[in-house]
Amino acid sequence: MEQSVLHRTLRDIAAVLVVAIFMFPLFWWALTSIKPMYAIFNKDHVVVFDFVPTLINYAVVLLGWSRAEIAIESGSTFGVGGTSSYDSRQTILDSIIVSVGSTALTMVVAVLAAYALSRMTFRTRTGFLNWVLGQRFMPPIAIIVPLVLMYKAAGMRDTDNLFMGYVGLILIYALMNLPIAVLLMKSFFDDVPKDVDEAAMIDGATRWQTFRRIVLPMVRGGIAAAAVLCFIFAWTEFLLSLFLTTIIRTVPVKITTFVTSTGSEWGFISALGTAAVIPGFIFILLVQRHLVRGLTLGSLKE
Amino acid sequence: MASVTVSNVRKTYGDVEVIHGIDLDIADGSFVVLLGPSGCGKSTLLRMIAGLETVTSGDIAIAGRRVNGVHPKDRNIAMVFQNYALYAHMNVKDNMSFSLKLAKRPQSEIDEKVGWAARILNLEPYLARYPRELSGGQRQRVAMGRAIVRDPAVFLFDEPLSNLDAKLRVQMRTEIKELHERLKTTTVYVTHDQIEAMTMADRIVILRDGIIEQIGSPLDVYDHPANLFVAEFIGSPAMNLLKGVVDGNSVRMDSGVVLPLPPERNPGQGRKVVYGVRPEHMGPGTGTGIKATVNVTEPTGPDLHIYADLGGEEICAITSERLTLSRGDTISFNPRLDRIHLFDAGTGKAIT
Repeated sequence: MEQSVLHRTLRDIAAVLVVAIFMFPLFWWALTSIKPMYAIFNKDHVVVFDFVPTLINYAVVLLGWSRAEIAIESGSTFGVGGTSSYDSRQTILDSIIVSVGSTALTMVVAVLAAYALSRMTFRTRTGFLNWVLGQRFMPPIAIIVPLVLMYKAAGMRDTDNLFMGYVGLILIYALMNLPIAVLLMKSFFDDVPKDVDEAAMIDGATRWQTFRRIVLPMVRGGIAAAAVLCFIFAWTEFLLSLFLTTIIRTVPVKITTFVTSTGSEWGFISALGTAAVIPGFIFILLVQRHLVRGLTLGSLKE
Repeated sequence: MASVTVSNVRKTYGDVEVIHGIDLDIADGSFVVLLGPSGCGKSTLLRMIAGLETVTSGDIAIAGRRVNGVHPKDRNIAMVFQNYALYAHMNVKDNMSFSLKLAKRPQSEIDEKVGWAARILNLEPYLARYPRELSGGQRQRVAMGRAIVRDPAVFLFDEPLSNLDAKLRVQMRTEIKELHERLKTTTVYVTHDQIEAMTMADRIVILRDGIIEQIGSPLDVYDHPANLFVAEFIGSPAMNLLKGVVDGNSVRMDSGVVLPLPPERNPGQGRKVVYGVRPEHMGPGTGTGIKATVNVTEPTGPDLHIYADLGGEEICAITSERLTLSRGDTISFNPRLDRIHLFDAGTGKAIT
């Protein structure tokens, strides 16, 4: 399509503006995380850039610096009580284990379920689909009390066993993400024409070989997309994590503990918040090469 | 190589029967085309031979072995699909060798077979390419390559050319026919395109609404259509079919137009018939004959198609003469009496 220079320029400006609007909170958050105390809270004016950047907030949440270490480094007492409760290394590790574990579990179950729903006919198929969708309508808060009791009875809550804590959260996140993952994967499987399955079967493949060697590689992009979604949902989940475990503090739950009776530690909150973007970012980087459009391109006449 | 036998095969979906008891013998090494309009059950029949659809009742045998309950992979068949159904994540070579790898053939044999197929199909320069990097014709050739490397007993083609543009279709038609001449593998080919059927088939099976209307060689079904449906379906432009009543040695249309019959044919005085004559046998001219009024003429290059009004019916005639005609002109027809077809107006069956 032929476009005038003016048209193109306007479009580019609009694109930059929209991106800027969405990126601004993230930018401000990251900026806050490297501000010293006086720049975060200033009663006279909003400090934007005229401050001396500091990594002390990160040192506290990611390295577990003590108050004494802060004092030595910054030459001030930083206005903080104890700092040990701000050490978030275990929190980040826990979040990674739970998110990756639940994503893996979700995807294994969802891919198999979605293939069956897409390709096989069985008696309860339609009802099953609606039931899957129905799970998505129910807000977790509606079932949190029975869930807590179930988790308690199963020994996954109020336990010192870290492993049981992980199992508990991985299970509930997988359950939480399964409906959306199954529906998403089903639509990706539906996009792969059945002729391809049939061609593979005539070529001598069993049902499993057809699935494993032909159809699965063709929905790689869908798996990557669904996995990213599941990971992000698990990574940012708050309510279930707050109620269903006492031993694990995931990042969202941990951050709420930074709001204390003596004030909100905005420096630490922003540092952990900014740091928490990074694992998700890495995860997306890892799967993004599969996130190419038109993976089935060429299989069929369009 | 093998014969295929279909005996009294029926197929129902729920309460709807779509194939009504079909019997068909496909000889070893022959090229049989299943031809019919969409919805006639030709694809369903092919898919039942392939094992992709279950057979409701009746038997299908390949090489004398009943295969009703046999998995497609164990039928020793290969199929080419309308939309190619290539494996998009594999390159051409892997697409073609997939079945051989599944069968755990030695690598040397795989390389040899794929190389052989690629040579036959002119795919050698493209072995490392992915389907998305190929043109439509090349993709179709890959789909065929995937079928021939297996050296199957039967080839099944499900409208393989209908996604190609006209020029490529003609070219691929020839290629498929050459391939068959070369391999002599029993082939069942489904199409709705009667030109494809005419040009490629040893035998044409014309289907309508789940029953066989006629089986015969291309010229046989063209020259001797068994009923009105076949007469209308085969040939382009279609056969002129004019209703009338037998009156002595002619057929009189409702409009009073009298159509001549050959002297040896006497279907019976007063019988209601349909008088059929192909456009190329209409014998248009300017002298004596059946008078009609020209509506439109279409020069195709070698021929001239004349559409004319004959007693309220539009008829078509083809001539290679360079007639100069315009709308409203009067034209006369002298149909070739030895190429007249007569059908019973009630049953639609040919009167011989």
